[in-house]
Amino acid sequence: MRIGFRGVLASAVATAVFAALWLNAAPVRAQAGDYTAPRTADGRPDLNGIWQALNTAHYDLEAHSARPALALTAALPRAEQPGLGRSTPVPMPAPEIRALGAAGGVPGGESVVVGGEIPYQPWAAARRDENAARWLERDPEIKCYMPGVPRATYMPYPFQILQGTNEILIAYEFADTTRTIFMSDVGDSPEPTWMGWSRGRWEEDTLVVEVTDLNDRTWFDRAGNFHSDALRVVERYTPMSPYHLMYEATIEDANVFTRPWTIRMPLYRRLETDKRLFDYKCVEYVEQLMYGELGVVDPETGEQND
Amino acid sequence: MSRRTQKLSRAVLVVAAAIITSNTERLPAQEVDDWTLSRTPWGDPDLQGVWRYEGATPLERPDDLAGRATLTDEEIAELARIEAERAANREAGLDGVAVGRSTLDESPIRGNEYNIFWQDHGRARQAYAQTSLIVDPLDGKLPYTDDARIAARRSDARYGVGPYESYLDPDTGERCLTDGVTAIMWQGPNGGHNRIVQSPGFVTILHEEYRDRRIIPVDGREHGSIRQWLGEAVGHWEGDTLVVETINFLDRTNYEWASIWTRASESLHIIERFRRVSETDMEYTITVEDPKTFTRPWTAAVPITRLPDGIQIYEYACHEGNRAMPNLLSAGRVEAGLAPSAN
Repeated sequence: MRIGFRGVLASAVATAVFAALWLNAAPVRAQAGDYTAPRTADGRPDLNGIWQALNTAHYDLEAHSARPALALTAALPRAEQPGLGRSTPVPMPAPEIRALGAAGGVPGGESVVVGGEIPYQPWAAARRDENAARWLERDPEIKCYMPGVPRATYMPYPFQILQGTNEILIAYEFADTTRTIFMSDVGDSPEPTWMGWSRGRWEEDTLVVEVTDLNDRTWFDRAGNFHSDALRVVERYTPMSPYHLMYEATIEDANVFTRPWTIRMPLYRRLETDKRLFDYKCVEYVEQLMYGELGVVDPETGEQND
Repeated sequence: MSRRTQKLSRAVLVVAAAIITSNTERLPAQEVDDWTLSRTPWGDPDLQGVWRYEGATPLERPDDLAGRATLTDEEIAELARIEAERAANREAGLDGVAVGRSTLDESPIRGNEYNIFWQDHGRARQAYAQTSLIVDPLDGKLPYTDDARIAARRSDARYGVGPYESYLDPDTGERCLTDGVTAIMWQGPNGGHNRIVQSPGFVTILHEEYRDRRIIPVDGREHGSIRQWLGEAVGHWEGDTLVVETINFLDRTNYEWASIWTRASESLHIIERFRRVSETDMEYTITVEDPKTFTRPWTAAVPITRLPDGIQIYEYACHEGNRAMPNLLSAGRVEAGLAPSAN
């Protein structure tokens, strides 16, 4: 008990110190400083290339300790059994994924949220916790659904920026999803969609993309962080060196959050010779999970209808 | 018949005649005055825009046109009249069968008039002189191996019928995977739009249906060795023609395909040529070689049309909204007596 309390105290102090340092260090907005991006043949900043985030935001946007798995079962007291009076201090991987062992573990990571925490409304914070507890049933990534914005950016897969003359493509490897960033006026989206409707502009060296018309089916990470169809995202891609961009996304959703909030992270250039994106047709990987060999899983409830 | 259609039909007539006489696989440039090929800021021919095949010419030559590579001027005019009439009927809500089919019996999906939206071009298809898109072999037919011909008949017989015992029984399209690379540029109305975007060293083709995407390097690299569903495409410029060679397909011949001539196989080898010949027209040829499916290579010559600026490709969330799969499988279970009927 004493050790546990000291652990909590140490952790709280560390969190406070970390938060203070981090907040002081965090600039209001990414700036390229002295760096000027190379120019394309038509004079625009050249963001062409294959990029990837290298962090744990895909597990959880917020700060988190390492843990055994994303899907956990509470540690059972084993006091009834002689010699097994102690229970493990950590929850254990859920039976569905226990066989993954350490490969199913979750590395700890810093928050990528400016200010540290996502400003949920109270009901939404509770919903996020419920989402996390029911991750295996609810995370759209598990079903190979398009990841939405900004989640597509920091999934553990590369993506490619392809700068055309009138539009810029962002091609993601996961689920073979592509966004078209319109750089001229194309009017409004006819429908809400998984990847939204993206209108871009240049602010000096920064590509600014306003993303609207997103549906409410996507998440932000594997920790259950979510939004409604009122979501609006403003992304900023700023070249910082030949090898990295600073990525910022400001998230507005008055149905779920108390105020707009921002995530920020570097994106790194993939430098392998002749690197390219590959197909990732994950539909093929989830059909048995979703439809069963003979039965059908109800897509709404996730329950198997035998 | 619009002036443009007339013009293009004549051009294609000349083109088709040239193919017959010279037996080349490339079409000669359409003669258009006062048009010059625009270039990207880095100097490549500019192929960007949204393109699709708008013609009424089928892939294979219909049996009643056997021995004839082209239609007469009168036949072209009549075909154009019929296509215009069908488009007008569709617009007026009078046409109850799939476009290009004159009766319900010919409709590809039996008893499912609702499915005509899959075939709705939105505007009249264009009448070309070619009697088949296939220009080689000269009979205008797919040169199937015997095994592939049986597989094609089997696929036709299963279509819309089943059995549907498992998610492996519907075809790759119904499973929201892909319908294959072969017909991507010219599949026609449903999701047949292709946005071409060029960036230095790459030509990217975004195909609407299944959001199939081909990021084609044109930076001088060689093919690698990693097999993929859509293969590995590598391109280069020959003059103003983009030549794309695609190999390294996965073997997915064991899956059901809506059209087995589009199926992915490890021996599939595709060569495509894209040449813009006017503001709105592209000559596209595709040569397909796969000993697993065909006795010899075949080539199709396809006139592709650039759609007006402002026409977009929209998100294709097929798997995300695939209610057909659970419904097919649950119905299959009821039919097999493995589950009680909801009624």
